[in-house]
Amino acid sequence: MVPVLKFGDVLVASILAALSDEDLDELRCEVVESVGRFRARGVIIDVTALDVLDSFATRTLRGIAHAAQLRGADTIVVGIQPDVAVAMVQLGLGLEDITTALDVEDGMTLLDERRRSRHGS
Amino acid sequence: MAAEELIPIAHERDIVSARQRGRQLASECGFSTRDQTLIATAISEVARNIVAYAREGHIVLEPIEKPDGRRGISVAAIDRGPGIADVELAMRDGYSTGKSLGLGLPGARRLMDEFEIETAMGKGTTIRMRKWMP
Amino acid sequence: MEPARHATEQTLMRELGLDTQNIDRRKRHFTFGPDDVVKLVALRPIVAAHAAELVDVFFDQLVAIDEAKTLLSNHELTDRARTMKREHLLAMVGGTYDASYVEQRLRLGLLYARAGLDTRVFLGAFQALVRSVGVRVMREGGAEAFDRFTSFEKLAFFDVSIILDVLVYERERTIRQQQEAIRELSTPVLQLRNRLLLLPIIGVIDTHRAQLITDGLLRSIRANRARVAVMDVTGVATIDSKVAHHLLQTVSAARLMGAHVIVTGLSSDVAQSLVAIGLDVGRFNTVGDLQGGLEEAERILGFEIVQRQGDHGVRVG
Repeated sequence: MVPVLKFGDVLVASILAALSDEDLDELRCEVVESVGRFRARGVIIDVTALDVLDSFATRTLRGIAHAAQLRGADTIVVGIQPDVAVAMVQLGLGLEDITTALDVEDGMTLLDERRRSRHGS
Repeated sequence: MAAEELIPIAHERDIVSARQRGRQLASECGFSTRDQTLIATAISEVARNIVAYAREGHIVLEPIEKPDGRRGISVAAIDRGPGIADVELAMRDGYSTGKSLGLGLPGARRLMDEFEIETAMGKGTTIRMRKWMP
Repeated sequence: MEPARHATEQTLMRELGLDTQNIDRRKRHFTFGPDDVVKLVALRPIVAAHAAELVDVFFDQLVAIDEAKTLLSNHELTDRARTMKREHLLAMVGGTYDASYVEQRLRLGLLYARAGLDTRVFLGAFQALVRSVGVRVMREGGAEAFDRFTSFEKLAFFDVSIILDVLVYERERTIRQQQEAIRELSTPVLQLRNRLLLLPIIGVIDTHRAQLITDGLLRSIRANRARVAVMDVTGVATIDSKVAHHLLQTVSAARLMGAHVIVTGLSSDVAQSLVAIGLDVGRFNTVGDLQGGLEEAERILGFEIVQRQGDHGVRVG
């Protein structure tokens, strides 16, 4: 399963291994539910451990991001590895509509920056 | 060299097995980690198609060699599913019938060096892909 | 996959495809069969008796040739080579010509390769050795002398074929390594400051080089935790739609790792022609020159460059 941790008003889900259809559906439900429960402003999905991100996985990540967005949380995908990034681009998956960052730390920084710019700094 | 390897595809988790075996074989053939990922991703795409549309089939992995000694890997995705009605349409980017975005086939083709598809309505589909060492 | 720094006999057995089947096939090339084995064993007394002189013949021939200096000036190498040569020679009349016999030849071949021994030099010395064996065998006389020597020659050719395979393989490996090193040098990634990378790209970008550039950039992004990379293509010879496509892919992949890529050095002519082909140049985030690109990068990173009276300073903003 995927542990979803809470850091302030940010949720971090670290995907540890290739997930099945059901697992990813469960993850989406849990993220959406947690965003609501904890009034989270941001969700970081960490895919560092994934050695392949195919069209299905990408679609699912997009689904999670959109669902979280509907509940008022920004989603950031972090941890895409070099070889995986290359494969995704060659596959034609740019993930243009999803924000990405290098790792959880950068994801947090990005969420902070966004919040600051939204509320004026 | 090792002989061909047959991986039955019936469940989600078989997709993961197939691409892990594919990565392993690609590594043994001498492919770079970059190419190993491309191959594993292509396997993931076609294996998922089997699960999504044919419900079951198998993936065949085989190390191959050109007459000049150049080594490569062959991946075949075989099923006895409904077949693809319009191959040209399916190979076009963005085509979709079911839940999928349809990026499976054209995407897999982009990742590999050679790509062939044989399909017949009601009979099934066979996809053969090959990647060669640089 | 990186080639091992030093191949071992086992690696070579695999790389050269020297399994039992192939070894047998190779023997058939030289019409080497069980009869020859018998005849070779019969030569053992003669060869063993003259082993030391025969090894000298080989190495004297090497001394006579300039190129063999490396092998001979290194005493440790020479001693090892002499010992191995002697064992090699005795094994030739030993009666067993299986995988371990082949491995022994591979070991010798590797030694020669590492010493930089030229193939011609090796062949000259080996030929002198074989001839010397011939002289002694014929001197002992007997009806079977010539017959037995013929068997020895067959095996000698077999041995040469293996050692040559090793020398060629090692030379090709060196060339491949050098080419790789040159390629790496030609795609440097420089860390300018915290989280900012600079890639000055010069020359021709083909598919392979584009891959190297992308791989290098992405790994640097991960290693340096870079958020912005400035890719300067001023020095790129031709930027056609293919090259632009490669660059676009590099930019997209970097973005997936959370890094902005700013492409500088695209002349307006080139930019226009790319737009004419239908490429979305806007996705490139292009800035005319390198200076502008670096300023843009620093802006993204949140620094400010403040120019004070006459001297340039950098203020963290």
